[in-house]
Amino acid sequence: MSNSHLFMKTGFPRAALNNGIGRYVCQLQRVTIKFCKNNGSSRGVRDFLEHDLVNFAKENPGIVVYVKPRRHRTPALSAEYLNGEKQLLFCRNYTREEVNKWLGLLRSQVRDTSAIRLRKMWHTDNPSIQGPWTPWTFRDPAQNLVEFPDPKLFKMETEQQTATEKLLEIFKAQQEAERKRANETG
Amino acid sequence: MSSLRTCARAAIRIQKLTSVIYTGERGIKRWVAPTLRVINKRKAKLGPQPEPRRSNFLDWNYNAEIFAFNKRLSENFDVELLQQAFTHRSYVAQEEQKQREVGIENPELSIKDNTDLIVEGKCLTSEIVERYLRQALPRLPEEGILKLKDYLLSEEIVAKVSVQIGTKDIILSEDHPVRQETLVNTFFALVAALARSNDVVHTSFFVRDFLIATLSDKEILSIWTPSHPFQTLDAILNREKRGSADFRLTAQTGVNTILAAYQVAVYSDQQFLGIGTGETVQVAKNIAALDALQRMFGIADFSRPIPFNLTVDVSSQRTENLPLTKWCTENLKHTVGG
Amino acid sequence: MGNVSSKNFVPRSRKFVRRNQKSFFQHKHDRKYLTSIMSAVKRAQQWATFARTWHLFDATWQNPFDSAQVIIKHLMGLHKPIYHPMNDCGDHVVVMNSRDIALPGDEWRKRVYFHHTTYPGGASWTLAWELHNKNPTLVIKKAVYNGMDGNLQRRHTMQRLHVFPDDKIPEEILKNISNQIRYLRPVPTRLDHISPEEVENYPKIVDYPKQYILR
Repeated sequence: MSNSHLFMKTGFPRAALNNGIGRYVCQLQRVTIKFCKNNGSSRGVRDFLEHDLVNFAKENPGIVVYVKPRRHRTPALSAEYLNGEKQLLFCRNYTREEVNKWLGLLRSQVRDTSAIRLRKMWHTDNPSIQGPWTPWTFRDPAQNLVEFPDPKLFKMETEQQTATEKLLEIFKAQQEAERKRANETG
Repeated sequence: MSSLRTCARAAIRIQKLTSVIYTGERGIKRWVAPTLRVINKRKAKLGPQPEPRRSNFLDWNYNAEIFAFNKRLSENFDVELLQQAFTHRSYVAQEEQKQREVGIENPELSIKDNTDLIVEGKCLTSEIVERYLRQALPRLPEEGILKLKDYLLSEEIVAKVSVQIGTKDIILSEDHPVRQETLVNTFFALVAALARSNDVVHTSFFVRDFLIATLSDKEILSIWTPSHPFQTLDAILNREKRGSADFRLTAQTGVNTILAAYQVAVYSDQQFLGIGTGETVQVAKNIAALDALQRMFGIADFSRPIPFNLTVDVSSQRTENLPLTKWCTENLKHTVGG
Repeated sequence: MGNVSSKNFVPRSRKFVRRNQKSFFQHKHDRKYLTSIMSAVKRAQQWATFARTWHLFDATWQNPFDSAQVIIKHLMGLHKPIYHPMNDCGDHVVVMNSRDIALPGDEWRKRVYFHHTTYPGGASWTLAWELHNKNPTLVIKKAVYNGMDGNLQRRHTMQRLHVFPDDKIPEEILKNISNQIRYLRPVPTRLDHISPEEVENYPKIVDYPKQYILR
């Protein structure tokens, strides 16, 4: 996140009106293509209108396309989404392919995504199937009966045998063996 | 001689220095800021302006909008019916008034309004929603079904759906900006128009996909909660001939603080039913009972989500879900059929 | 129970619904109601996830600087899977027997605690053993304090640390405890704490001659 994003509107990725659960509805409802008939900066847009506009309208019957010539002004795409938001995209000196691509973006997005900073890249209503973690999730239920402080619970879990303890063990084994031998001979 | 040379060099340098003239240009013209300032001042002086009607814009074609509305929702509305569904009585009255002002005594407009469509659509939507909910949530008590229906048919929800499918700009009505009530009525009129242009089964898909599907990210318990979870749970267990609810404290921490937490689990005949946490034991017990109930009714977080691909048969016999007073697994088998 | 009494527990959400049923879309808050209403069960689940656990730690024979790392982990909630720096999920830690801590090497003599009163000549240097004699809880408290990053949260986190010089913990604090932190190192047994019989029966490699003089 850079400083230019500090005062941006923030949000989470959400589908509009559970889009896709029932059926898919394209969220771009209408687009106005504004261009100049003479100026060179509108050349790509004019090319687009000449070659691709009819195809675009045929492929997307759910989007109303308006074309609006205006003299000596920067060409622009004005998109209106179903949530009521409007987006103005200037396309000065854009080539025909670029106009196509930007229009594709407008068509496929839910809203003006460049005007919003996503706080997370995902969204879920139920983040966990097992149920969210609690401090008691992995706790031994036996701890319910403990009266604190319990000296046993302070003991290290992996307390290694000390040399002294090892020595004692050997000593005891030795004594035991000696006692056995004495019993056998005696 | 050498001093002369240094003098000459210095003179050349000075000339170079003086000859450098900065010819940079300001990025934004000097007149822009003051002009904007004046414009803003005039705007402030005018005060808040009414929201412009989208349909008054230059780039507006009503027929194209209607066509696109139909295609956008992948529906087969009859275009005339669709236009009728969008035309409210207030709009027709307004048009007639306009003609009268011009001087026509008995204005006769051939515009049909959606008054009867609204009434028809309201009944149909209510019927579809109720039946669908019963079919999708067979274990939920009837009280819950009715509450969910009320929630789905509430003005705010329907209005939101209506806006989101793109009716707001196309509505022909006197009020502007469009009132919530008008949005709701438009949705109902659309439902009726669809039923007339196609059939009821097709209409139920429309209602399911746009209205009922809004339940997908909702927590059902936040819309409907059994009012006395304690007594309800006991009554259900009693009807099922199981041992009465046995509450056990399973964990606690920070007992002497305001952030105390008690965890209580509820069992019946040593069978786990539910678990709940609260700041007091009483609250935790209540939650545990609620949790047990939501597990029984199949509306817990981990339960199977509500299916949104069912087909409703409006013509079939109405079968209500079990009410809370009769709810038990045995009775459920009779109604759901297994 | 202050602001979380059972009184304003369920009704709050109901009140919200009733107030907003009429005029939707007119207030900013009303729009929120559509998406963010929480059921009692969801609220209880949050209460459980963010419940503050009270841990008990015995400082007997423990290195305070190593212990501080473990204590900090629990104080800040770093041991929880829900941890996030902006997430207030720290636990309480009760430390007992802070009088019996063990500093490594000659730290008791060499470790110096600096303090300045901000007046000229107000600097003072206190050795660890001196500080410990004055207040047996300070060495471990300072170890925890210095072990954390110096940010605005540090003093609030420190409020959740409760240090007691011996094993006399007040009853109301003891009741809060629901977990114990294990020792970081085994606690040795002192020779004078072992019974004379046990010493007598301990295996010996050699028996000293009777006339052998032990110095």
